Parts: sequence; structure tokens; C-alpha cells
Amino acid sequence: MSFTEQYDIAVVGAGHAGCEAAVAAARMGLRTALITMNLDLIAQMSCNPAIGGVAKGHLVREIDALGGIMGQVADSVGIQFRLLNTSRGPAVWSPRAQCDKALYRVKMRELLEAQAGLHIRQAEVSGLVIGELTNAAPNQAARRITGLKLRDGRILNARAIIITTGTFLNGLIHCGEERYPAGRSGEPASVLLGEALRALGLRTCRLKTGTPPRLDGRTINWDAFEEQPGDADPTPFSFRTKSIPQRQVSCHIAYTTPRTLEIIRANVHRSAMYSGQIEGVGPRYCPSIEDKIVKFPDKTQHQFFLEPEGLNTHEVYVNGMSTSLPMEVQHEIVRSIPGLEHAEMLRPGYAIEYDSVDATELDHSLRVKSIEGLYLAGQINGTSGYEEAACQGLVAGINAALWLKGSQPFTLGRDEGYTGILIDDLISKGTNEPYRMFTSRAEYRLHLRIDNADRRLTPYGRKLGLVDDAAWAEFEEREIFRMAFGSLLNATKPTADDLRAAGLGDLTSINGLGWAQLLKRPQVSLEPLLPFLLSGLKMQPALHKLAAAVEAGALTSALRNQVRTVETEIKFAGYLEQQRKSIEKMKAAESVEIPTWLDYGIISGLSREMKEKLERVRPATIGQAGRIPGVTPAAVSLIHVSIRIQAAKRAS
Amino acid sequence: MSPVETIAAISTPPGRGGIGIVRLSGRDACPIAGKLVELRAPLAHAHARLAWVLDDSTPPRRIDEAVVTFFSAPNSYTSDDLVEIAAHGSPVVLDLLLRRALGLGARLAQPGEFTERAFLSGRIDLTQAEAVRDLIDAKTLAQARQAASQLGGALSLRVQPVKRALLELIALLEAGIDFAEDDLSVATTEEIARRINGLLPPLEALEKSFAGGRILHDGLTLAIVGRPNAGKSSLFNRLVERERAIVTATPGTTRDLVTERISMDGIPIELVDTAGVREALEEVEKIGIERTHQALADASIVLVVLDATAPLNGDELKLLRAIEGRAALIVRNKCDLPRAASPQPPLPSSLAVVETSALTGGGLTELRAVILKLATGGAAAEPGALTTLRHRDAVRLALAALKKSAEANVQHTPHEMLLLDLHSALEQLDELTGQTSTEDVLNLIFSTFCIGK
Repeated sequence: MSFTEQYDIAVVGAGHAGCEAAVAAARMGLRTALITMNLDLIAQMSCNPAIGGVAKGHLVREIDALGGIMGQVADSVGIQFRLLNTSRGPAVWSPRAQCDKALYRVKMRELLEAQAGLHIRQAEVSGLVIGELTNAAPNQAARRITGLKLRDGRILNARAIIITTGTFLNGLIHCGEERYPAGRSGEPASVLLGEALRALGLRTCRLKTGTPPRLDGRTINWDAFEEQPGDADPTPFSFRTKSIPQRQVSCHIAYTTPRTLEIIRANVHRSAMYSGQIEGVGPRYCPSIEDKIVKFPDKTQHQFFLEPEGLNTHEVYVNGMSTSLPMEVQHEIVRSIPGLEHAEMLRPGYAIEYDSVDATELDHSLRVKSIEGLYLAGQINGTSGYEEAACQGLVAGINAALWLKGSQPFTLGRDEGYTGILIDDLISKGTNEPYRMFTSRAEYRLHLRIDNADRRLTPYGRKLGLVDDAAWAEFEEREIFRMAFGSLLNATKPTADDLRAAGLGDLTSINGLGWAQLLKRPQVSLEPLLPFLLSGLKMQPALHKLAAAVEAGALTSALRNQVRTVETEIKFAGYLEQQRKSIEKMKAAESVEIPTWLDYGIISGLSREMKEKLERVRPATIGQAGRIPGVTPAAVSLIHVSIRIQAAKRAS
Repeated sequence: MSPVETIAAISTPPGRGGIGIVRLSGRDACPIAGKLVELRAPLAHAHARLAWVLDDSTPPRRIDEAVVTFFSAPNSYTSDDLVEIAAHGSPVVLDLLLRRALGLGARLAQPGEFTERAFLSGRIDLTQAEAVRDLIDAKTLAQARQAASQLGGALSLRVQPVKRALLELIALLEAGIDFAEDDLSVATTEEIARRINGLLPPLEALEKSFAGGRILHDGLTLAIVGRPNAGKSSLFNRLVERERAIVTATPGTTRDLVTERISMDGIPIELVDTAGVREALEEVEKIGIERTHQALADASIVLVVLDATAPLNGDELKLLRAIEGRAALIVRNKCDLPRAASPQPPLPSSLAVVETSALTGGGLTELRAVILKLATGGAAAEPGALTTLRHRDAVRLALAALKKSAEANVQHTPHEMLLLDLHSALEQLDELTGQTSTEDVLNLIFSTFCIGK
């Protein structure tokens, strides 16, 4: 008689995807289990100790706006905050924070343990319990998952399962000529689960990623490096964060020397990447140092960063020096850099290969199309990055919960968030290298800003039950602020004295213009003008907070965020409108659903290759069909017309 | 596919018909129509209105009369707002209407797109729908073929370098945004300006090539005119290389227009044989001669056939006056027979004169060479010239987008906004040479810049 446990939802893996999935499911009222191979390594940052970055910072804001947790945890343990891309426009400003790696685990575990309805279990999953579904409709799931077998003999029954295995699925570490199975350095791989998933017959591929050596900070001569301090006024990830609690520290910028390059060139053949030992495909945006030197032989030096792993450790992460060269070569490379002559390596860099599932097996809710109740999120779907993983975890958790409640799935459009783009890209195109988010993947980038993530997503989060009353009240307050401030700028005009005092007096052509019109001038920005708007601000209760901050001469980053939203939408109204028109066009295509019974096989005029792709992806809408590589606009028209024809034939 | 987009097309077959129709369908159909014509009464659902067709000069001039019919959404063929402008069938007027509509924001309809919209909005039944599907099916094939031929074609060779340079600029700016943490240098305003400005001249030259290149695509018409029995039909048959027109010794045999499409060195030419010009003897011939004058007015090239054995008569002198300043040539036929004295007054020196014998085929080689020279007239000989209105439109929109981004750049507009217009320019060039995907941009970034913090 085996010991069994009963849950609504079980989440396998407690990394960045798993934590979001489990908390979302529990908050939505489902009895949820979170299963990890090691309770002490929940939310481990396997690679660099930082959250955010360009486009990734956008993802974290979105997670937060929807009611996820990554932003709050990162804010509470961030030790160096930088807002990136401020030399460009507000649409691509993106926050990044160096985090205390150990504290991140602690804070996340605290949060998980405080969540009602969430049960954390340490166990290794050794098998999946799958049943056949009778009378399944064509092109619909024919099997259903009902539980997990655990290595300790337990059976864990759950109505929905979310698998988030990261790099653990048949993980294989390479360090020079050495290689051994592992999920992460020092942790075993998930081999049994890998076999169980393989037995499901899902298409898989082999990916690779890498990580750099970690050094002992006490053996580094810090004076040899340029200091990179954080922002004086940190920009938090979460709309809910009021202040940054941790002491702030700096990173340092370093460069390779000609000697470094010599060592690497002489040893490239010993790198696991170049010896042919690795079959997985690595990310081009995160190449190993040996890769950079082989592919860009003309570049005489390469930049890297020395990043603290925490406040209570001397461990230093060498960002930009990911490598799979042998240990002794890594040692030589490190020592070839002035300031690191005596540096001690705490852990070597390594490359890791792992299995991922072809994400075209999934639908927009991250459910495996062929197996009812099974959801996948994170690196298993071919992505890389904590943020990419977390947003998928959140969406998978939400959808598993909605499905159990009998509700419609929750999906985000490409015009609503980077999260929507990421999932749509993955399930429509799959990926043949670890997928990372870039702002250039967003067609409607100008609308997907960090300052309006709440307006885009918080109403959804509220409806789903993920945004609590306090956060919702704050959101509504920000909305009222936005409208009040916008109408103040539209309705009032500066006086000639205002203009002179603001240093705009010589712009005679602006006499008589309202504040909003003034803002459209490229040389005019809003923040320095706030003191001249003081009387107007004081007249509106919704703007009193801003008035007080202006008078005190101290704008908080939260208020600054709100001011920027209003400014951006006035200043770049023309560009925003241009994008809005494209959005409208896209939405029309998105509104035409493709029925699951559609038979691509009998549509003459579609090439065999197109038919195969369409059959595999089974796009939900005409719009999605058009985004599948190789499907031409004419083919999309053909599908559109064929829906009608086949519908009429079915009816008769 | 999107009902919000306004599409436009000439929906009567090319060439001169009694009436030609330009159709507009979509959200902006009414406002655009309102600018194309001067209505005598406001548009109302299912009512025809008289209107003047306006040209694009300022102030606009009335160039033709038209009947404008409006069908309001959803009670129209396409279920969107639909406007039909029926003008006199002159290709020039229809062309102007269509080009102006495109200039006012309409998009050139794909073949079958009006019907497709009608079908998708449930206006037509299944059998008709299957016909539509076949049409799209054919379109798929045609597109594939066209794309294949464009790929290695002269136009593609001409556009590719410009597109590549644009893509490089896009990659430079995108890399700057997405890899802000890497030590890439930020592109300066001057650098961006230099790069955008470098794209303009080749595209402007391409846009100008349209007038000439168009002949290649649409072809041209050549009208053969002259007095009765000068040998027009014999020459026509010689050029067609078969007995197409009826030839007899009786003057005035050809009563109506006889047309045949031929290809000279790959240039499609519509040959039109006409009734001989003289004082008509009866009603049928009179109508035939009126049509001759019409054909003469519409033709891109006029070939006047003179009888080398007879002196010029009054009708011929009138004909010679009518072709002054036009693309024309003169043939002195029947050169196998004893000739009359040199024509009086002398033939205009600006026109090529070819001596032929339709009977023996003498002079035909020279005649073909002269026609070809007139047809290509320099510009069309240019390799990679634009030949379709769709392509011309794409180049024009690409240029407009590039100019907009150049202006914005001077104002130090943030890069992600400049990119909006740069991407839309790229999308337009894609119309000429095939799709560019996000993956292409990323590939270029990763192969150009050493990325990887």
C-alpha cells in the first residue's frame, strides 16, 4: 500500500518558473504542491546574481503588474540597481538589479511558506501517471495526466501538473575534457523524469548554456578596475515597492589583455564547445569567451564585469567570461588580467547541456496539446533567463488553475506584453537556440513600457485574483493621477514668466501654447517644468502628493514613473498612434479563430511543408498562422476561406 | 484581410472600354472618394451621384465626368463601405484615380481581394466561394512564381544593396537598444543621418524608373492608321506573323478595330488595325472611322501607313498633323511597285520613315527595330526598372518613411521611434524582394557585433 497525497495542482521544480506557478495557483485558491529536489536551493540563481536587464526588466514589471512575485523578491534583496538605456526613449528603459544570491533564496522561501494553500515537498519525480481519454475529438488531447510517481515510493495525485525542470532534464556538465551528468554544479540531474517525459513522445531538442568562473573577492585587487556604481535613485521592479532595503554596492568593469587572448587561442581546441564534445545549441547572445575570440578575431579586447554575489560573501561572478575550457586554462585566463593576478577561483565555469521540449507542442496557455492537464514552463520550453522562466511559470500556474475551475484560458496578446510575445513566439515558431527576450522582438514596443505595465496588466491580475486590495487601490490611485495630470497639462498654459524662468524664454514661437503642446517640442522635458505647474498641482487632490514632492524637491522613483507615463504619451503621441494603427490591423487577424476541426490536408494550394507546420502548431487564429515561418500571406487567405468552406460542408 | 484597411483597384479590364470603374472598399472609402471627385450631391447608400473627376494639381482641375455610387457598410458587396467611381474608360483617367487613391492612404487590392472580402463577410455562397479559393490558389502560385523570378531578377539585384544597407542600420540601432550593457558605441545622430541619406538617391532613381519600366509590364498599344487600301492589314498580318486581319483588294475592307497582342523582344505590344480614313460611304464605315480616331488618340505609338505609289491626299495630311509631337513613325508601303514622286509637302523630319513591302516582307526587319526603339524609349531599357504600380507604391512609401525618420533623427528623436519608420521602410522593400523576419535582424546583429555580457 503506497503512501499517496492529493492536490489540485503539482508544480515540479522550484526555480524561477516553479515558484511563480505555485504561488499563482495557490493564490487562485487551488491546493498546490511545489516539489523540489532540494528544499535549500529554492529559487537558486544558477547563473548571474542579477534580475532584469533590457527587455528582461520589462518582463519582471509585467510579472509584478499581473500579481507575480519576482519583482518584490528582487527589490527586497537588490544590492545594485541600474535603469538601463536611459540614453534612449522611455519605451526601452529597463531596470536591472544585482541581487544577494543567498538572500534571494531566503526571501523566496519565506514568501512561499507564507502562502496559504501551498505545500512544499522535497522529492525527486521518477515517473508520470498518464491515462488514456476515450472519445477524444480529432486534434484534441487523447491522454490525460493524473499524478506523479516519486522516487521515495509516494504517488502524488494531482489534476494538473506543471513541469519546470530548468537545465536538470538529462543535464550534462562539460568542463574542458571532463563531463558528468548534473542538473547544476553540485546537484544531480533529473534522469528518471527525463526518461518519463521522453516516453510521452514529445519532440525534444538538446540545448546548451554556460556559466563563468566565480572568484574570491579577497584575492582581487579592486583598485585595478573601474567602479560601476548603481543609480543614486534606484528604480525598483515592483509597483508595490516603496523603498530599497539593502545596502547598495558597486560592480567593477574589466577588460581582457592580449595575453588573455593568446591563452584562449592556444587552448581553444580543449574547450568542450570546440572539441565536438557538445551537441546542444548554445545562445548566440551569451557566447563563451572562447567563442567571442574565435568569431571576432579582430576585436582586441573584451569587456567583462566583476559582480558581487551578495553582501555576506566574498564570492564574485565574472560576467562575460562564460567558458567550458579546462580548469587550469580558466585559472591562467583569470590570472592574465591585471588586478586578478592573485585571484583564487572558488568555482570554475562550465557548460551544461540539457533537454528541452519543442514548444510547438504547447498552446497559448502553455498546456501540452496532446496531454490534458500537463503544462510546461521555463527552460524546458527552450528559453533562457530567470525572467523568461518566471513569466511562463506565472502564465502556466494561472492557466492550470483556470482550467481546473472550468474557465477560459488566460492569454496575452503581442500588443499587451512581452510575456504574450514570448509565449506566442515559442509556440508558433519553436526555437533552436535558448530563447531570450529582446525588445526588437516586440512589434509594438512603444506601447510595452515599464511605466505602463500596470495599466496593461493589473486589471487582468485583479480579475484573476492575484492582485490584493491594497495593490489594486494603489493602481486606481495611479490611474486617477494619470488622468488628472494629463488634463492639467492639456488645459493650462504657461505664462511668459514661466517660460523665461524655465529657460525656454527664447523660444518665442511657443508663446501661447499649452503645456501639453510645449512638451511635444524635442528640447522640452517635463520634470524640470514641474515647479511651474505647482499651483495647478495643488488644485487637484489627486496631484497633491506630486505637489508636495515638487515642493520638497525630492521626486521618488515611483512618482517619477507616473510623471514619465504622462509625458511619454503626450510627447510621442504621433508615434504611439502609428503603432496603434498596426495593432488594430493585427487584432483583426487575431479575431478570426481557426476551428480545431480544420483539415489542412485537404486545402489545395498549401505546400506540403506548410501543411506539416500548420498541422504541428495548429494555430489558434489566422493571425498566429501568419506568424509561422514560411506561411505566406496568400496561404493565410487560403486558410481563412477554407474555414468557411469546410464549415459549410460540415453543416450540410 | 483586415476590414479596417481601405483597398482600391480598377475593376474593369485594362484598356479602353466604354466605362471604367475604380472601386474603393474599407473604412476610409468615403473620405478618399470625396477627395478624388467633386460630388454634385452628398453620397447616400445605394444612390448614384454625378461628379467631376479631379486631378492632383492645385487647385484641382476637373478632367472628366463620373458617376459615383456608394454602398454603406454592412450592406455592400464587401460588407465594408464601398464606393464605385465610374468614369469614361480612358486608361489615363482611371490610372490617375487609382494612383491618387493610393496616395490618400488606400492600399492596392490583391487580385480577388474584393471577392475574398465579400466571401468572408458571408455575402456569397459556397460555389462562389470555391471559385474564390481557386483564385487565391492561383494567386499563391503566381506569387510564388513572381517571388522566384524576382529573387534573381534585375529588380532584386538593384534593391538588395539598399535593403542590406537599411537592414544594417536597423541592426546597428537595435543592437544599441537590446545590448545596452555591452560595450557597443552608440550611433550618433550624424552617423544615422549619413546612413539614411545614403539610402535615398538609389530609391529615388528607382521610383523614377517606373514610367519607363511600366511599359514592360502593361505593354503598349500601337495603332496602324492610314487611307483605305494602303496595306495596313497586310502590315498588321506581317507583324502578327499570321493571317489575322482580312485582306482584300477592295478599299474599306476593315470596318472595325482588329487587335492582336504580340511580343517584340519581350515587350508586349497590342497591335490595333484600323479602318482606313476617308469620307465614309455608309453608316457602318462611318462608325469604323470614328473608332479609328479613338484608337489613334489612345495609342502609345502611331504607325501611319502611306501608299508609296500614290501622292499624299487630304485625309493623310490630316493624319500627319494629328500625330505631331507623338510617338509615331511613318511607313511607305508597296515599295515593290514603282513609286510616285516624293511626297509633297515633305514628311516631318522628326519621324522615322521606313520603306516596306507588306507583300514581299521587305523592310519588315527595319520596321520592327524602329518600333522597338520607340517602345523602349530609353527608360525601359534600364535594368531593374519598376514595372508595377504596386512596386512603385512600395518604393514611394519606403522613401516617405525614410524621410520621416531622417527628419526625426535631426530632432534627436529616440532610436526606438526612428526604428518604427525604418522598419516600415523595410517592410515596403520586402514587397519587392521578399520577407525580412525578426530572426534576420538578430542574425545580422550577432554576426556583426560581439555581444555577450
